[in-house]
Amino acid sequence: MPLLTELTAAVAAGKRTDTVRLTQELLAAGLAPQTIVETGLVPGMAIVGDKFKRNEIFVPEMLVAARAMKEALKILEPLLALAGIKPKYTALIGTVQGDLHDIGKNLISMMWRGANFAVVDLGTNVSPEKYLAAAVEHKANIVGLSALLTTTMPAMKETVRILKAANLPDMKIMIGGAPITQAFADEIGADGYAADAGTAVDIARKLVGAAA
Amino acid sequence: MKTISMTGCERVNRMFARQDQDRIPRCDSFWLETIARWQREGLKGDYHDVMLRLGSDFQSLCWSWPCPFPGKREILSADSETETVRDAWGGVARHWKARSGTPEHISFGCDSREAWETIYRPAMLAVPLQLDITAALQAQREGRALGRWTHLTGVEGFEALRRLIGDETCLVAMIEDPEWVRDIVKVHTDIVLRSFEALLAGGVKADGLWIYGDMAYNHSTMCSPAMYRDLVWPAHKRMADWAHARGQRVIYHTDGHVREVLALYIAAGFECLQPIEAKAGMDVREFAPLFGDQLAMFGNIDVMKMGTNDLGIIEEEIRTKFAAGMATRGYAYHSDHSVPPQVSWATYQAIIGFVERYGTY
Repeated sequence: MPLLTELTAAVAAGKRTDTVRLTQELLAAGLAPQTIVETGLVPGMAIVGDKFKRNEIFVPEMLVAARAMKEALKILEPLLALAGIKPKYTALIGTVQGDLHDIGKNLISMMWRGANFAVVDLGTNVSPEKYLAAAVEHKANIVGLSALLTTTMPAMKETVRILKAANLPDMKIMIGGAPITQAFADEIGADGYAADAGTAVDIARKLVGAAA
Repeated sequence: MKTISMTGCERVNRMFARQDQDRIPRCDSFWLETIARWQREGLKGDYHDVMLRLGSDFQSLCWSWPCPFPGKREILSADSETETVRDAWGGVARHWKARSGTPEHISFGCDSREAWETIYRPAMLAVPLQLDITAALQAQREGRALGRWTHLTGVEGFEALRRLIGDETCLVAMIEDPEWVRDIVKVHTDIVLRSFEALLAGGVKADGLWIYGDMAYNHSTMCSPAMYRDLVWPAHKRMADWAHARGQRVIYHTDGHVREVLALYIAAGFECLQPIEAKAGMDVREFAPLFGDQLAMFGNIDVMKMGTNDLGIIEEEIRTKFAAGMATRGYAYHSDHSVPPQVSWATYQAIIGFVERYGTY
Protein backbone atom coordinates (compact mmCIF):
# COMPACT_ATOMS: atom_id res chain seq x y z
CA MET A 1 0.00 0.00 0.00
CA PRO A 2 1.73 3.21 -1.15
CA LEU A 3 0.40 5.30 1.74
CA LEU A 4 1.98 2.94 4.26
CA THR A 5 5.29 3.19 2.45
CA GLU A 6 4.95 6.96 2.49
CA LEU A 7 4.21 6.85 6.21
CA THR A 8 7.32 4.78 6.86
CA ALA A 9 9.40 7.27 4.89
CA ALA A 10 7.83 10.23 6.68
CA VAL A 11 8.63 8.80 10.10
CA ALA A 12 12.17 7.91 9.07
CA ALA A 13 12.67 11.48 7.82
CA GLY A 14 11.15 12.97 10.98
CA LYS A 15 8.41 14.74 9.04
CA ARG A 16 5.87 15.26 11.77
CA THR A 17 3.15 16.97 9.74
CA ASP A 18 3.31 14.37 6.96
CA THR A 19 3.30 11.55 9.51
CA VAL A 20 0.12 12.84 11.14
CA ARG A 21 -1.58 13.50 7.80
CA LEU A 22 -0.74 10.05 6.42
CA THR A 23 -1.87 8.37 9.64
CA GLN A 24 -5.23 10.11 9.36
CA GLU A 25 -5.54 9.22 5.68
CA LEU A 26 -4.78 5.56 6.40
CA LEU A 27 -7.40 5.48 9.14
CA ALA A 28 -9.89 7.13 6.81
CA ALA A 29 -9.09 4.47 4.23
CA GLY A 30 -10.12 1.85 6.78
CA LEU A 31 -6.79 0.47 7.81
CA ALA A 32 -6.62 -0.97 11.32
CA PRO A 33 -4.64 1.12 13.81
CA GLN A 34 -2.50 -1.89 14.72
CA THR A 35 -1.56 -2.37 11.08
CA ILE A 36 -0.61 1.29 10.79
CA VAL A 37 1.65 0.96 13.82
CA GLU A 38 3.23 -2.33 12.86
CA THR A 39 3.65 -1.87 9.14
CA GLY A 40 3.92 1.90 8.84
CA LEU A 41 5.42 3.49 11.93
CA VAL A 42 7.62 0.76 13.40
CA PRO A 43 9.48 0.10 10.11
CA GLY A 44 10.15 3.85 9.92
CA MET A 45 11.80 3.84 13.32
CA ALA A 46 13.70 0.68 12.37
CA ILE A 47 15.24 2.62 9.48
CA VAL A 48 16.18 5.35 11.94
CA GLY A 49 17.82 2.82 14.27
CA ASP A 50 19.81 1.24 11.45
CA LYS A 51 21.03 4.59 10.14
CA PHE A 52 21.93 5.68 13.65
CA LYS A 53 24.03 2.57 14.21
CA ARG A 54 25.92 3.31 10.99
CA ASN A 55 26.43 7.00 11.95
CA GLU A 56 24.45 8.03 8.88
CA ILE A 57 22.18 10.02 11.16
CA PHE A 58 22.75 11.40 14.66
CA VAL A 59 20.74 12.10 17.79
CA PRO A 60 18.87 15.15 16.39
CA GLU A 61 17.49 13.15 13.46
CA MET A 62 16.56 10.31 15.80
CA LEU A 63 14.70 12.71 18.07
CA VAL A 64 12.63 14.31 15.32
CA ALA A 65 11.70 10.87 14.00
CA ALA A 66 10.62 9.76 17.47
CA ARG A 67 8.59 12.94 17.85
CA ALA A 68 6.87 12.28 14.53
CA MET A 69 5.95 8.78 15.64
CA LYS A 70 4.73 10.08 18.98
CA GLU A 71 2.32 12.46 17.23
CA ALA A 72 0.93 9.58 15.19
CA LEU A 73 0.57 7.45 18.30
CA LYS A 74 -1.45 10.20 19.96
CA ILE A 75 -4.05 9.56 17.27
CA LEU A 76 -3.75 5.78 17.26
CA GLU A 77 -3.37 4.87 20.93
CA PRO A 78 -6.95 5.75 21.97
CA LEU A 79 -8.21 3.59 19.12
CA LEU A 80 -5.92 0.74 20.09
CA ALA A 81 -7.05 1.03 23.70
CA LEU A 82 -10.70 0.91 22.64
CA ALA A 83 -9.99 -2.30 20.76
CA GLY A 84 -8.11 -3.71 23.76
CA ILE A 85 -4.85 -3.93 21.83
CA LYS A 86 -1.61 -3.44 23.73
CA PRO A 87 1.99 -3.75 22.65
CA LYS A 88 3.09 -7.36 22.87
CA TYR A 89 6.16 -6.66 24.97
CA THR A 90 6.79 -4.50 28.02
CA ALA A 91 10.15 -2.95 28.85
CA LEU A 92 11.18 -1.22 32.07
CA ILE A 93 14.02 1.23 32.08
CA GLY A 94 15.84 3.23 34.74
CA THR A 95 19.16 4.62 35.85
CA VAL A 96 20.64 2.55 38.65
CA GLN A 97 20.90 3.57 42.28
CA GLY A 98 23.47 6.28 42.91
CA ASP A 99 23.22 7.72 39.41
CA LEU A 100 21.02 10.63 38.28
CA HIS A 101 22.06 10.69 34.65
CA ASP A 102 19.13 10.31 32.29
CA ILE A 103 19.99 11.24 28.69
CA GLY A 104 20.95 7.75 27.57
CA LYS A 105 17.99 6.20 29.32
CA ASN A 106 15.61 8.64 27.65
CA LEU A 107 16.97 7.92 24.18
CA ILE A 108 16.66 4.16 24.64
CA SER A 109 13.17 4.63 26.00
CA MET A 110 12.22 6.61 22.90
CA MET A 111 13.62 3.98 20.55
CA TRP A 112 11.90 1.11 22.36
CA ARG A 113 8.59 2.95 22.08
CA GLY A 114 9.39 3.35 18.40
CA ALA A 115 9.77 -0.43 18.17
CA ASN A 116 6.30 -0.84 19.71
CA PHE A 117 7.35 -1.89 23.18
CA ALA A 118 5.26 -0.62 26.07
CA VAL A 119 7.84 1.28 28.08
CA VAL A 120 7.73 2.01 31.79
CA ASP A 121 10.31 4.64 32.76
CA LEU A 122 11.32 4.23 36.40
CA GLY A 123 13.44 7.38 36.41
CA THR A 124 16.86 7.79 37.96
CA ASN A 125 18.55 6.54 41.14
CA VAL A 126 16.39 3.39 41.05
CA SER A 127 16.98 0.88 43.82
CA PRO A 128 17.19 -2.85 43.05
CA GLU A 129 14.02 -3.37 45.05
CA LYS A 130 12.14 -0.83 42.95
CA TYR A 131 13.28 -2.53 39.74
CA LEU A 132 12.11 -5.88 41.07
CA ALA A 133 8.73 -4.60 42.25
CA ALA A 134 8.12 -2.92 38.89
CA ALA A 135 9.23 -5.99 36.96
CA VAL A 136 6.69 -8.08 38.86
CA GLU A 137 3.92 -5.47 38.60
CA HIS A 138 4.29 -4.92 34.87
CA LYS A 139 5.29 -8.48 33.95
CA ALA A 140 8.27 -6.98 32.21
CA ASN A 141 9.87 -8.77 29.30
CA ILE A 142 12.90 -6.48 29.37
CA VAL A 143 14.47 -4.62 32.26
CA GLY A 144 16.96 -1.98 31.11
CA LEU A 145 19.61 -0.65 33.49
CA SER A 146 21.60 2.48 32.68
CA ALA A 147 24.71 3.84 34.42
CA LEU A 148 26.98 6.76 33.61
CA LEU A 149 29.36 6.57 36.51
CA THR A 150 32.00 3.94 37.15
CA THR A 151 31.06 4.18 40.81
CA THR A 152 27.52 2.99 40.13
CA MET A 153 28.53 -0.11 38.22
CA PRO A 154 28.41 -2.12 41.50
CA ALA A 155 24.77 -1.01 41.89
CA MET A 156 24.13 -2.42 38.44
CA LYS A 157 25.68 -5.71 39.48
CA GLU A 158 23.56 -5.83 42.63
CA THR A 159 20.37 -5.06 40.69
CA VAL A 160 21.10 -7.84 38.22
CA ARG A 161 21.76 -10.22 41.12
CA ILE A 162 18.44 -9.41 42.79
CA LEU A 163 16.45 -9.58 39.56
CA LYS A 164 18.02 -12.89 38.60
CA ALA A 165 17.41 -14.32 42.06
CA ALA A 166 13.70 -13.59 41.66
CA ASN A 167 13.71 -15.97 38.69
CA LEU A 168 10.87 -14.19 36.91
CA PRO A 169 9.66 -15.99 33.81
CA ASP A 170 10.27 -14.34 30.43
CA MET A 171 12.26 -11.44 31.88
CA LYS A 172 15.58 -10.47 30.34
CA ILE A 173 18.00 -7.86 31.63
CA MET A 174 19.81 -5.38 29.42
CA ILE A 175 22.47 -2.93 30.51
CA GLY A 176 24.19 0.06 28.95
CA GLY A 177 25.89 3.37 29.63
CA ALA A 178 29.20 5.10 29.14
CA PRO A 179 31.46 2.85 31.24
CA ILE A 180 29.62 -0.38 30.39
CA THR A 181 31.03 -3.06 28.11
CA GLN A 182 29.98 -6.48 26.86
CA ALA A 183 32.62 -7.96 29.16
CA PHE A 184 31.01 -6.30 32.17
CA ALA A 185 27.57 -7.53 31.06
CA ASP A 186 28.94 -11.06 30.88
CA GLU A 187 30.66 -10.71 34.23
CA ILE A 188 27.51 -9.67 36.10
CA GLY A 189 25.17 -12.01 34.25
CA ALA A 190 23.12 -9.50 32.26
CA ASP A 191 21.37 -11.00 29.25
CA GLY A 192 22.28 -8.19 26.88
CA TYR A 193 24.44 -5.12 26.44
CA ALA A 194 23.59 -2.26 24.12
CA ALA A 195 26.27 0.16 23.00
CA ASP A 196 23.81 2.68 21.56
CA ALA A 197 20.10 3.40 21.16
CA GLY A 198 19.86 1.70 17.77
CA THR A 199 21.48 -1.48 19.00
CA ALA A 200 19.25 -1.42 22.09
CA VAL A 201 16.24 -2.10 19.87
CA ASP A 202 17.93 -5.02 18.11
CA ILE A 203 19.05 -6.59 21.36
CA ALA A 204 15.67 -6.15 23.03
CA ARG A 205 13.85 -7.67 20.07
CA LYS A 206 16.28 -10.56 20.01
CA LEU A 207 15.94 -11.20 23.73
CA VAL A 208 12.14 -11.35 23.58
CA GLY A 209 12.24 -13.51 20.48
CA ALA A 210 10.83 -10.86 18.16
CA ALA A 211 13.90 -10.39 16.00
CA ALA A 212 13.36 -10.79 12.27
CA MET B 1 67.64 13.52 25.98
CA LYS B 2 68.28 15.36 29.25
CA THR B 3 67.86 19.11 29.29
CA ILE B 4 67.88 21.77 31.95
CA SER B 5 64.72 21.98 34.02
CA MET B 6 62.03 24.18 32.51
CA THR B 7 59.15 26.10 34.01
CA GLY B 8 55.67 24.83 33.30
CA CYS B 9 55.06 27.83 31.10
CA GLU B 10 58.15 27.13 28.98
CA ARG B 11 57.29 23.45 28.82
CA VAL B 12 53.72 23.99 27.60
CA ASN B 13 54.73 26.65 25.09
CA ARG B 14 57.41 24.32 23.72
CA MET B 15 54.86 21.54 23.50
CA PHE B 16 52.68 23.76 21.34
CA ALA B 17 55.71 24.61 19.19
CA ARG B 18 56.73 20.92 19.03
CA GLN B 19 60.11 21.81 20.48
CA ASP B 20 62.14 19.71 22.90
CA GLN B 21 61.01 19.78 26.51
CA ASP B 22 62.60 18.39 29.67
CA ARG B 23 59.42 16.42 30.32
CA ILE B 24 55.83 16.39 29.16
CA PRO B 25 53.49 18.94 30.74
CA ARG B 26 51.14 17.54 33.38
CA CYS B 27 47.71 18.21 34.81
CA ASP B 28 44.85 16.10 36.13
CA SER B 29 41.29 16.20 37.49
CA PHE B 30 39.79 14.29 40.40
CA TRP B 31 36.39 13.51 41.86
CA LEU B 32 35.70 15.04 45.27
CA GLU B 33 35.35 11.51 46.62
CA THR B 34 38.76 10.60 45.25
CA ILE B 35 40.50 13.30 47.25
CA ALA B 36 38.46 12.33 50.33
CA ARG B 37 39.52 8.69 49.92
CA TRP B 38 43.15 9.67 49.52
CA GLN B 39 42.99 11.81 52.64
CA ARG B 40 41.77 8.75 54.53
CA GLU B 41 44.63 6.79 53.02
CA GLY B 42 47.34 9.20 54.08
CA LEU B 43 47.28 12.16 51.68
CA LYS B 44 48.41 15.23 53.59
CA GLY B 45 46.54 18.18 52.11
CA ASP B 46 43.94 18.55 49.41
CA TYR B 47 43.46 18.84 45.65
CA HIS B 48 46.08 21.59 45.38
CA ASP B 49 48.65 19.47 47.15
CA VAL B 50 48.02 16.58 44.76
CA MET B 51 48.51 18.95 41.83
CA LEU B 52 51.79 20.18 43.32
CA ARG B 53 52.92 16.62 43.89
CA LEU B 54 52.02 15.72 40.31
CA GLY B 55 53.88 18.80 39.11
CA SER B 56 50.95 20.44 37.37
CA ASP B 57 52.00 22.98 34.77
CA PHE B 58 48.64 24.71 34.26
CA GLN B 59 46.94 27.55 36.12
CA SER B 60 43.40 28.64 35.37
CA LEU B 61 42.67 32.31 35.91
CA CYS B 62 38.90 32.30 35.60
CA TRP B 63 35.86 30.24 34.67
CA SER B 64 33.45 31.87 32.25
CA TRP B 65 30.01 30.33 31.86
CA PRO B 66 27.56 33.22 31.55
CA CYS B 67 24.08 32.61 32.93
CA PRO B 68 20.92 34.71 32.87
CA PHE B 69 20.34 34.83 36.64
CA PRO B 70 23.73 34.86 38.44
CA GLY B 71 23.59 33.72 42.04
CA LYS B 72 20.10 32.24 41.82
CA ARG B 73 19.83 28.92 43.64
CA GLU B 74 16.39 28.06 44.96
CA ILE B 75 15.98 24.70 46.68
CA LEU B 76 12.56 23.40 45.68
CA SER B 77 12.69 20.11 47.56
CA ALA B 78 15.15 17.77 49.20
CA ASP B 79 15.49 14.28 50.58
CA SER B 80 18.26 12.63 52.55
CA GLU B 81 20.53 12.28 49.52
CA THR B 82 19.46 14.80 46.89
CA GLU B 83 18.04 18.25 46.48
CA THR B 84 16.03 19.68 43.62
CA VAL B 85 17.18 23.15 42.71
CA ARG B 86 16.12 25.93 40.35
CA ASP B 87 19.43 27.38 39.23
CA ALA B 88 21.04 30.37 37.61
CA TRP B 89 20.04 29.15 34.14
CA GLY B 90 16.37 28.99 35.11
CA GLY B 91 16.29 25.19 34.98
CA VAL B 92 15.33 22.65 37.60
CA ALA B 93 17.66 19.75 38.33
CA ARG B 94 18.14 17.17 41.04
CA HIS B 95 21.67 17.05 42.45
CA TRP B 96 23.44 14.88 44.96
CA LYS B 97 23.95 16.73 48.21
CA ALA B 98 27.32 15.29 49.10
CA ARG B 99 28.79 13.44 46.17
CA SER B 100 29.93 13.90 42.59
CA GLY B 101 27.81 12.98 39.63
CA THR B 102 25.80 14.35 36.76
CA PRO B 103 22.47 15.86 37.87
CA GLU B 104 19.06 14.79 36.64
CA HIS B 105 17.63 17.62 34.56
CA ILE B 106 13.94 17.91 35.31
CA SER B 107 13.00 21.00 33.33
CA PHE B 108 14.52 23.96 31.56
CA GLY B 109 13.13 27.44 32.00
CA CYS B 110 14.25 28.44 28.54
CA ASP B 111 12.21 25.84 26.71
CA SER B 112 11.08 27.77 23.64
CA ARG B 113 12.30 30.41 21.24
CA GLU B 114 9.74 32.77 22.71
CA ALA B 115 11.13 32.27 26.23
CA TRP B 116 14.62 32.90 24.87
CA GLU B 117 13.67 36.07 23.07
CA THR B 118 11.46 37.58 25.75
CA ILE B 119 13.20 36.53 28.98
CA TYR B 120 16.50 34.74 28.68
CA ARG B 121 18.27 36.63 25.91
CA PRO B 122 17.53 40.05 27.46
CA ALA B 123 18.53 38.71 30.89
CA MET B 124 21.85 37.38 29.64
CA LEU B 125 22.65 40.60 27.84
CA ALA B 126 21.68 42.72 30.83
CA VAL B 127 23.91 40.90 33.31
CA PRO B 128 27.14 42.78 34.09
CA LEU B 129 30.57 41.15 33.99
CA GLN B 130 30.37 37.70 35.58
CA LEU B 131 34.12 37.31 36.12
CA ASP B 132 36.15 38.47 39.11
CA ILE B 133 39.15 40.49 37.93
CA THR B 134 40.72 40.58 41.39
CA ALA B 135 40.52 36.81 41.73
CA ALA B 136 41.97 36.36 38.24
CA LEU B 137 44.90 38.62 39.07
CA GLN B 138 45.51 36.68 42.28
CA ALA B 139 45.43 33.36 40.38
CA GLN B 140 47.81 34.88 37.86
CA ARG B 141 50.29 35.83 40.61
CA GLU B 142 50.07 32.33 42.08
CA GLY B 143 50.51 30.72 38.70
CA ARG B 144 53.47 32.89 37.78
CA ALA B 145 55.12 32.16 41.14
CA LEU B 146 54.88 28.46 40.34
CA GLY B 147 56.08 29.01 36.78
CA ARG B 148 52.82 27.67 35.39
CA TRP B 149 51.20 28.22 32.01
CA THR B 150 48.23 30.47 32.69
CA HIS B 151 44.97 30.27 30.83
CA LEU B 152 41.55 31.81 30.60
CA THR B 153 38.87 29.14 30.85
CA GLY B 154 35.47 29.40 29.24
CA VAL B 155 32.56 27.31 28.08
CA GLU B 156 31.70 27.25 24.38
CA GLY B 157 28.34 27.67 22.70
CA PHE B 158 27.17 24.09 22.33
CA GLU B 159 27.64 23.25 26.00
CA ALA B 160 25.99 26.54 26.93
CA LEU B 161 23.09 25.75 24.63
CA ARG B 162 22.51 22.34 26.21
CA ARG B 163 22.71 23.82 29.70
CA LEU B 164 20.22 26.55 28.90
CA ILE B 165 17.56 24.74 26.88
CA GLY B 166 18.27 21.05 27.51
CA ASP B 167 19.47 18.28 25.26
CA GLU B 168 16.19 17.37 23.65
CA THR B 169 15.08 20.90 22.81
CA CYS B 170 18.58 21.79 21.70
CA LEU B 171 19.07 18.82 19.40
CA VAL B 172 15.61 19.10 17.86
CA ALA B 173 16.10 22.83 17.35
CA MET B 174 19.30 22.11 15.46
CA ILE B 175 17.04 20.64 12.78
CA GLU B 176 13.81 22.57 13.18
CA ASP B 177 14.99 26.04 14.19
CA PRO B 178 18.70 26.43 13.39
CA GLU B 179 18.51 30.24 13.53
CA TRP B 180 17.52 30.03 17.18
CA VAL B 181 20.51 27.78 17.86
CA ARG B 182 22.85 30.15 16.04
CA ASP B 183 21.53 33.07 18.05
CA ILE B 184 22.02 31.40 21.44
CA VAL B 185 25.52 30.28 20.48
CA LYS B 186 26.37 33.76 19.23
CA VAL B 187 25.01 35.61 22.28
CA HIS B 188 26.87 33.23 24.60
CA THR B 189 30.11 33.63 22.67
CA ASP B 190 29.74 37.43 22.60
CA ILE B 191 29.41 37.52 26.38
CA VAL B 192 32.31 35.14 27.01
CA LEU B 193 34.66 37.12 24.77
CA ARG B 194 33.48 40.42 26.21
CA SER B 195 34.19 39.05 29.69
CA PHE B 196 37.68 37.97 28.67
CA GLU B 197 38.31 41.40 27.16
CA ALA B 198 37.37 42.97 30.49
CA LEU B 199 39.87 40.72 32.27
CA LEU B 200 42.65 41.68 29.89
CA ALA B 201 41.74 45.36 30.25
CA GLY B 202 42.01 44.84 34.00
CA GLY B 203 45.60 43.68 33.73
CA VAL B 204 45.21 39.92 33.37
CA LYS B 205 47.71 38.28 31.01
CA ALA B 206 47.13 34.72 29.90
CA ASP B 207 49.25 32.31 27.91
CA GLY B 208 46.28 30.54 26.50
CA LEU B 209 42.57 29.88 26.29
CA TRP B 210 41.11 26.58 27.47
CA ILE B 211 37.65 26.09 25.96
CA TYR B 212 35.23 23.62 27.57
CA GLY B 213 32.49 21.94 25.60
CA ASP B 214 31.29 18.35 25.66
CA MET B 215 29.86 17.67 22.25
CA ALA B 216 30.04 13.91 22.05
CA TYR B 217 29.21 10.69 23.83
CA ASN B 218 30.74 7.24 23.68
CA HIS B 219 30.10 6.48 20.06
CA SER B 220 29.90 9.76 18.19
CA THR B 221 29.31 13.45 18.29
CA MET B 222 25.83 14.50 19.45
CA CYS B 223 25.11 15.95 16.01
CA SER B 224 26.57 15.30 12.59
CA PRO B 225 29.88 16.89 11.60
CA ALA B 226 27.98 18.90 8.96
CA MET B 227 25.55 20.25 11.54
CA TYR B 228 28.43 21.07 13.87
CA ARG B 229 30.20 22.87 11.03
CA ASP B 230 27.09 24.87 10.22
CA LEU B 231 25.79 25.82 13.66
CA VAL B 232 28.58 25.70 16.23
CA TRP B 233 31.94 25.67 14.48
CA PRO B 234 31.82 29.37 13.50
CA ALA B 235 31.68 30.27 17.20
CA HIS B 236 34.53 27.87 17.94
CA LYS B 237 36.63 29.51 15.26
CA ARG B 238 35.71 32.93 16.58
CA MET B 239 36.95 32.01 20.07
CA ALA B 240 40.16 30.55 18.67
CA ASP B 241 40.72 33.58 16.42
CA TRP B 242 40.17 35.87 19.39
CA ALA B 243 42.81 34.00 21.41
CA HIS B 244 45.31 33.86 18.55
CA ALA B 245 44.96 37.60 17.96
CA ARG B 246 46.10 38.06 21.56
CA GLY B 247 49.03 35.68 21.29
CA GLN B 248 47.30 32.85 23.12
CA ARG B 249 47.30 29.14 22.39
CA VAL B 250 44.02 27.21 22.38
CA ILE B 251 43.10 23.98 24.18
CA TYR B 252 39.71 22.38 23.57
CA HIS B 253 38.09 20.07 26.09
CA THR B 254 35.50 17.53 25.08
CA ASP B 255 34.57 14.10 26.30
CA GLY B 256 33.33 11.42 23.98
CA HIS B 257 34.12 10.14 20.52
CA VAL B 258 35.15 13.05 18.30
CA ARG B 259 37.30 11.26 15.73
CA GLU B 260 35.13 12.47 12.85
CA VAL B 261 35.47 16.17 13.73
CA LEU B 262 39.18 16.38 14.50
CA ALA B 263 39.87 17.99 11.13
CA LEU B 264 37.21 20.60 11.86
CA TYR B 265 38.79 21.30 15.24
CA ILE B 266 42.11 21.91 13.55
CA ALA B 267 40.43 24.16 10.98
CA ALA B 268 38.78 26.12 13.82
CA GLY B 269 42.21 26.82 15.27
CA PHE B 270 42.16 24.41 18.20
CA GLU B 271 45.76 23.44 18.88
CA CYS B 272 45.36 20.87 21.63
CA LEU B 273 42.65 18.29 22.45
CA GLN B 274 41.88 17.25 26.02
CA PRO B 275 41.10 14.80 27.68
CA ILE B 276 40.67 12.27 24.82
CA GLU B 277 38.31 9.77 26.41
CA ALA B 278 39.61 6.22 26.06
CA LYS B 279 36.32 4.47 26.79
CA ALA B 280 34.83 6.38 23.86
CA GLY B 281 37.32 4.69 21.56
CA MET B 282 39.71 7.62 21.42
CA ASP B 283 43.36 6.55 21.35
CA VAL B 284 46.41 8.77 21.18
CA ARG B 285 48.32 5.85 19.66
CA GLU B 286 46.06 6.12 16.63
CA PHE B 287 45.65 9.89 16.53
CA ALA B 288 49.15 11.18 17.28
CA PRO B 289 50.67 9.87 14.05
CA LEU B 290 47.71 11.20 12.04
CA PHE B 291 47.04 14.56 13.66
CA GLY B 292 49.90 15.12 16.10
CA ASP B 293 51.70 17.70 14.00
CA GLN B 294 48.63 19.97 14.06
CA LEU B 295 46.81 18.98 17.22
CA ALA B 296 48.63 18.36 20.50
CA MET B 297 47.20 15.48 22.52
CA PHE B 298 46.52 16.05 26.22
CA GLY B 299 45.39 13.08 28.25
CA ASN B 300 43.91 9.74 27.20
CA ILE B 301 45.18 7.74 30.19
CA ASP B 302 42.24 5.46 30.84
CA VAL B 303 40.61 5.96 34.25
CA MET B 304 38.96 2.55 33.94
CA LYS B 305 42.44 1.04 33.89
CA MET B 306 43.52 3.28 36.76
CA GLY B 307 40.52 1.97 38.68
CA THR B 308 41.76 -1.61 38.47
CA ASN B 309 44.67 -0.56 40.75
CA ASP B 310 46.70 -3.10 38.77
CA LEU B 311 50.04 -1.38 38.35
CA GLY B 312 51.06 -3.62 35.48
CA ILE B 313 47.99 -2.63 33.44
CA ILE B 314 48.40 1.04 34.32
CA GLU B 315 52.12 1.13 33.53
CA GLU B 316 51.50 -0.39 30.11
CA GLU B 317 48.76 2.14 29.42
CA ILE B 318 51.03 5.04 30.32
CA ARG B 319 54.15 3.69 28.63
CA THR B 320 52.53 2.99 25.27
CA LYS B 321 50.43 6.14 25.08
CA PHE B 322 53.24 8.40 26.22
CA ALA B 323 55.54 6.85 23.61
CA ALA B 324 53.04 7.62 20.84
CA GLY B 325 52.28 11.13 22.03
CA MET B 326 55.84 12.11 22.84
CA ALA B 327 57.04 11.09 19.40
CA THR B 328 55.39 14.27 18.12
CA ARG B 329 56.68 16.46 21.01
CA GLY B 330 53.03 17.49 21.28
CA TYR B 331 51.75 15.54 24.26
CA ALA B 332 50.77 16.31 27.87
CA TYR B 333 49.62 14.04 30.70
CA HIS B 334 46.03 14.00 31.96
CA SER B 335 43.67 11.17 32.79
CA ASP B 336 41.10 10.59 30.05
CA HIS B 337 38.38 12.18 32.20
CA SER B 338 38.81 12.66 35.97
CA VAL B 339 40.33 10.21 38.41
CA PRO B 340 37.54 8.27 40.16
CA PRO B 341 37.46 7.13 43.79
CA GLN B 342 38.20 3.52 42.85
CA VAL B 343 41.82 4.63 42.47
CA SER B 344 43.76 4.29 45.72
CA TRP B 345 46.27 6.86 46.92
CA ALA B 346 49.00 4.25 46.65
CA THR B 347 48.03 3.66 43.02
CA TYR B 348 47.98 7.35 42.19
CA GLN B 349 51.41 7.83 43.74
CA ALA B 350 52.61 4.99 41.50
CA ILE B 351 50.97 6.75 38.55
CA ILE B 352 52.93 9.91 39.34
CA GLY B 353 56.04 7.72 39.31
CA PHE B 354 55.14 6.28 35.90
CA VAL B 355 54.41 9.77 34.57
CA GLU B 356 57.87 10.84 35.73
CA ARG B 357 59.60 7.74 34.35
CA TYR B 358 57.96 7.56 30.94
CA GLY B 359 57.19 11.25 30.49
CA THR B 360 60.77 12.51 30.59
CA TYR B 361 62.38 13.28 27.25
